Formats: sequence, C-alpha cells, structure tokens
Amino acid sequence: MMSSKRLRVTALTMGALLVATGCGSGSDGSGGKKSELKLYNDKGAWTPFFEQMGALSKQQNGLGVKPVGYTDEPTYTAFIKTSFRTKVKPDLFTWTTGGRLEEIVKQNQVADTSDIWRAGVQSGDLSAALQKYYTVKGKQYCVPLNTAYWGMFYNKKIFDRYKLKPPTTWAELMKAAETLKSKGQVPFHHSSPTSLFSFVWFEQLLAGTDPDLYERLSNGQASYTDPGVVKVMEQWKSMIEGGYFSNPGDKNDPADHFKSGKAAMALMGTWFNTSMTQRGLKQGKDYGFFMMPNVAPSLPKRSLVFESGPLCSLRKAPDGEASTKFLKWWVTPPAQEKWANTRGDVSGNPKVKVADPALDKITKEAGGAGNRLVLRYFEAAPPPVLTEALSGFDGFLGKPGTYLDVLKKIQKVNEEYWKTHEDGS
Amino acid sequence: MTANDVLPGRAPVIKGKGSGPGGRGRARGGPGGGRGRGRAGRFALFGRFRFLYVSPALVFVAVLLYLPFLWTAYLSLTTYDGLGSPAFTGLDNYRRLLEDEALLTSIRNTLLWVAGTTLLPVGLGLLVAVLSYDLKGGSWFRLPFLLPYAMSGAGLGLIWGFILQPEGMANQVLSFLGMPGGNTEFLQDGPRNTIAMIVVWAWQQLGVNMLLFVVGLQSIPKAPIEAARLDGASGWRMFRHVIWPLMRPLTTVVFGLALVASLKTFDIVWVMTQGGPGRTSETLAVTMYRDVFVADEYGYGSAVAVLLTTITGLASYIYLRRQAGREGT
Repeated sequence: MMSSKRLRVTALTMGALLVATGCGSGSDGSGGKKSELKLYNDKGAWTPFFEQMGALSKQQNGLGVKPVGYTDEPTYTAFIKTSFRTKVKPDLFTWTTGGRLEEIVKQNQVADTSDIWRAGVQSGDLSAALQKYYTVKGKQYCVPLNTAYWGMFYNKKIFDRYKLKPPTTWAELMKAAETLKSKGQVPFHHSSPTSLFSFVWFEQLLAGTDPDLYERLSNGQASYTDPGVVKVMEQWKSMIEGGYFSNPGDKNDPADHFKSGKAAMALMGTWFNTSMTQRGLKQGKDYGFFMMPNVAPSLPKRSLVFESGPLCSLRKAPDGEASTKFLKWWVTPPAQEKWANTRGDVSGNPKVKVADPALDKITKEAGGAGNRLVLRYFEAAPPPVLTEALSGFDGFLGKPGTYLDVLKKIQKVNEEYWKTHEDGS
Repeated sequence: MTANDVLPGRAPVIKGKGSGPGGRGRARGGPGGGRGRGRAGRFALFGRFRFLYVSPALVFVAVLLYLPFLWTAYLSLTTYDGLGSPAFTGLDNYRRLLEDEALLTSIRNTLLWVAGTTLLPVGLGLLVAVLSYDLKGGSWFRLPFLLPYAMSGAGLGLIWGFILQPEGMANQVLSFLGMPGGNTEFLQDGPRNTIAMIVVWAWQQLGVNMLLFVVGLQSIPKAPIEAARLDGASGWRMFRHVIWPLMRPLTTVVFGLALVASLKTFDIVWVMTQGGPGRTSETLAVTMYRDVFVADEYGYGSAVAVLLTTITGLASYIYLRRQAGREGT
C-alpha cells in the first residue's frame, strides 16, 4: 500500500513539475550575446551559399550563421508571422519587399536599418535607386539579400541555327519569334500552371507598354479593367493563340525545359544563371541573355523589371546588436563579392565586381540611365491581389478567351484590398 | 433469400455487436474477476483515479484538437491576416462563402471526389476481392493491385503529374497506339483534371480496399455459405443474398473510411495541380489551405474549414446512423 502511495505521489509531483516547466518562461539560451545567428529563409536550396557566408562572417567579424531553410513558402510565412507572438524569434530572416514588407513593418516588428542605409548610400555600398523599395513611412527596414533583373535567356545554338541575333526592339523580337515559329520551333517558354510565375508576361507586357499604369495598378490607383490593362491582356492572348508559347501544362523544370531546346527563349530573373551553370550550360556558348525591349518604342526609358529580396532582423531580435552588426557587414564589398560569385548572380552592391563578365555587363547596363527600374509584380502587388492574379493568369493560360473575367475577378479583390489599406503612392 | 433465411440462429454472430459468443461477458469480467478480494480492492482504488489515467490523453486531445477547433470557429467570424489582432466581422465570411464562385467549384469537385472514391477504389476493390479470393493462386492476381499502395501520396502525385502532362507518357502511349485522345489535356481543364486525379487515386487505393475485403471474405463462416450452396445458391445470388450481408460490418467501415478520406482530399491535388489551373481542381481542403496560408485570409479560410468540418461530420453521422439502423433491422 505504502509503495503504491509513494508511486502516486512521485507521479503527481513529476507531472506537476512538467506542467510548470511547460507553462514557465523557459530558458532556451536565446537571449544574451550570440556568436552564431540563425538565419531563417524560404530559400532551402541556398543553404550551402548561406553556410559559406557564415564561414566568412565568422572569420571577419566573429559571427557564424546557421541557415534554417524552408522550401514551402506558405509554411515559412506562417512561421515568421507566428514568431512575432512567440519567444522563438529568428536572428535574421528573408522576406519580400512591397506590400508584404509594409505589412510587417506596420506591426512594429522589423528593426529599423535607416543608419545602415544612410552610411551605405554615402559609401556607395547600397544603391540609392533601391532605397525606396526598403522605405516605409520615411524609414528604412532590412537590407538587400539579393537583387535580380529580369530579361530573356536565349538558346544560342537555336539562334545560331536560324541566324538570329538578340533583338533590341520589340519588332525585332516578334520577327525572331515569327521566324522560329515558321521553322517549327516554339519561341517562348511559359511557366507551368502550378508555377508561381504565371504573372511574368503580364508584368513584362504592361511595364513595356505603360510603366506608369503598371505602377498605378500596383498602388491601387488604377483598375484591372482599365482599357490599357485590357489591351495588354488582348496582346498576351493573341501571342498565346498565335502559338508563341510552350504548353503551360509542361511539368518539367523550366531550366530543363530550356536546356532541352523545347523553347528557344525563357523570360527569367538573372538567378536563372545559377540553374544554367548547375546543368553544365555556359553563358556565351550555350545560352545568352538580353534585356527585354519595350513594347512601346516611344517610351523614353527601357522598363527593366527587377526584384530585390530583403534580409531583415526583428526589433525584438534575441541579440539585436549582433543582428545589426551582421547586416552592416552583409552590405560591404567583401561579403557581397562572395555572395554574388558563389551563387553566380548579380550583386545589390554597385561597387562589387562580379567574376562572370556577362553578369558584370548586366549589372553595369542595369545601373545605366537608360533604364527605368520596375518592381517585379510578385512584390509590387498586395498579397491578396497577387494570390487572385496568380490563379487568374494561371487559368487564363489554358483558356485565353476568359481574360475579361479574369481581370474582373482580380479587380474585385483589388477594390476590397484598397478599401481598407492606405494608398501606397 | 438472405443470410438470416439460411441460418437465422447465427445472425447475431455476423452483426458484429459482440465479439462472438461470450466475448462481451469476458470483457466485462476482465482480469481479476472473481480472483480474490485484494486484487479487486486495488482495482477499485485505482478506479477512483481513472480520470487521472486518461487525463494525459484528454489534455493532449483538448489542447491539440478541441482548442484549435474553437479558435478556428472564432476566427471564421473575423477578418485576420495573421498579424495583429483579428477584427470581429460577424457572419460576413459566411455570407461571402455563398457568393464565392471558386467555392462552388470546390464543392462540386469535393462531391466528385466523394462519388469517385467511394465507387472506384471501393467498388473495384470489392470486385477484385470477390473474383480472386477463392481462386487457386489468387494472391498472385491480387499482388499487382496492391503494389501501388506502397507509394506515398506525394510520390504518386508527382509521377502521375508527369505522366498526365500535355506531352506526357499517357498522351504518347495513346498516340503510339493510334488511339483517339492523344492530345488530351488531362490536368489543364476542369472537371476533367479532378476526374483524372480520382482515377489516379483509385489506382493506388484499390489494393488496400481489396485486401480488406479479402480479409472480410476469408473471415465469413463457412457454414452459411455451405448451407446456401445446398439450397442451390451460387454466383450473383450467393453474393447478393449471403456474402454481401455477412460482410456488412466490414463494408460499413471501408465505405466510411473512404467517405471521410474523400471529403478531406488534399495531398494529391496539391502535388498535381495545386488546385489549378485557375482554381478549377480545388477541393474544400485545398480551398481552405489556399485561403489561409497562401492568401493570408485566416478568417475566410477558417469559415471554409468550419464548412468542411460540418459537412464531414454530418456526412459521417448520417452514414453511420443509416448503417447502424440497417444492422438493427
């Protein structure tokens, strides 16, 4: 009897202790000085690159990096949002600019990086042109993790076979596409319906026709049923019906699709270079890149779509000082040179020389006065509008005749969104 | 002629309410039944603490299931993007559900899944089981049907996604054989994409249903079958009036599981089409996920979740009540 009583008392005490521990504040050692920062990101495939940066950082400023990579975007977003309310907080995390950055800044969660930007722009480590995409209500948040420009990758062997040259005007591009089509070659790759990139051609056609309308549309100042937008959809429709695109139902990876020569050209971000080199293709020999000419030749500047993903830290980061120290280091040339060259992509730091001459040329050309930078639609559109648009464009690719319905549906969500949000102008 | 006509006295054995003669009695008596006072006393003492024993499991279920459900039900009455605090908006989300075209498509697809997965994998599973169970070497016939079950849902979706793509293997085979439909866009248009995915799902699930039915067939007592045979029953009559009623407890479970599984169809759709193109292949579970985690509309997505839970609960309740009613007759 005695032993059973003792047993029960022991069990209850242990249970109570367990519950108390669970309910207590806990001590996970996340506070205090840190020598290794956890970098949460939605770029699981970049883990080796982050690790290389961590090694360099450890060597140069004593802060190591442990990347925690997610591959599923919704899960990642949910985790970051939840971390705002819990004690498990990332030291550093990746995010997107535009509406999504604004959203979390307004919750007073993101650390202010205005000082880093001020010093960076002065020293030339950060581009003044990029600053506005990191600015919310006059203050800067986060620093550029990566920058990419969107343009056309072309299969050099196919171009050589048909004696084609990279076009410099829209008319030349269409002529090249027509030539390819007449030879039974599909000119352009189109993303598969399940891809995130169903917006790419919409963005390119609209920005290349009327960049002001594109920006007004992103800020809620224009309607998706605006005649200018409708016209762009009609042009896209005629291109699809004209057989200019590969079948969007193709499940192959875009890089494999492009490598196989099924489509002669693919409209992609400069990060596509990494996929090309991973598949053993060489810039200049197997493939080339040209910037997309405007649809409207009368525009004073070439609309150049770009994306810039931020690297952020939280206002209540476990060790705010260490996180800020890392972000300061991140924008410096030694860090950026390593970052750009390991991934084979352009750098957000204009002073950095990229080893690949073709990429270096793109960086220099992009920074030139002849371009008007246009934020990628993925970042420019508010999240609910983007979700509706991605589904809408996705459906449109299979049934181009539904374009007006698609625009009306997006506009409905657009109107709803801007009713409750401030104008982003 | 039914099983009861053949052997009325044995009917309770197959109704599954007890576990055979004396089964219940033994369970009730339990260990210690009539084995001395000391032991019985100790059990009675522990009996006072019986809630303590179940409490860990109860806390687990309450914290991980009931509380989130109540929270979801509350969120469905709010507008919430996952940041800040939810803003109470009453029944607005439910009103929106009624006007949402995509939700109607989603309900239609879910119903297709319910019809398809209860008919195809279960029906065909039963057919294969009945045709093969008393054959010599029947297990060799069943093996190929069972193999696809070894695949994970995600792997299944990935492979069939490639097979069914526009220039995929399915179309290539059709073209090679000179059959019509060599240019079919299996996954690009609704409701064809949903039907294609149901067929893929049936391909995988048929085997396990077949296996359950074989086990059911093998556990049927030989006596009623022999008696029916002596009475001249065979073929379809034997199946319809003897075998089928004897297997009812099992079919209730198999159909019930298929019903619930079809109502919550998610993984295969997410892997193969992500509900697209243009939301044409979404099921209620996919719509719920999309609204909450992709569109960040936690309130509206929660309303879809409540709708899905209500439909699943009601369907299961009605189905089980009906089956219980039938067994009671």
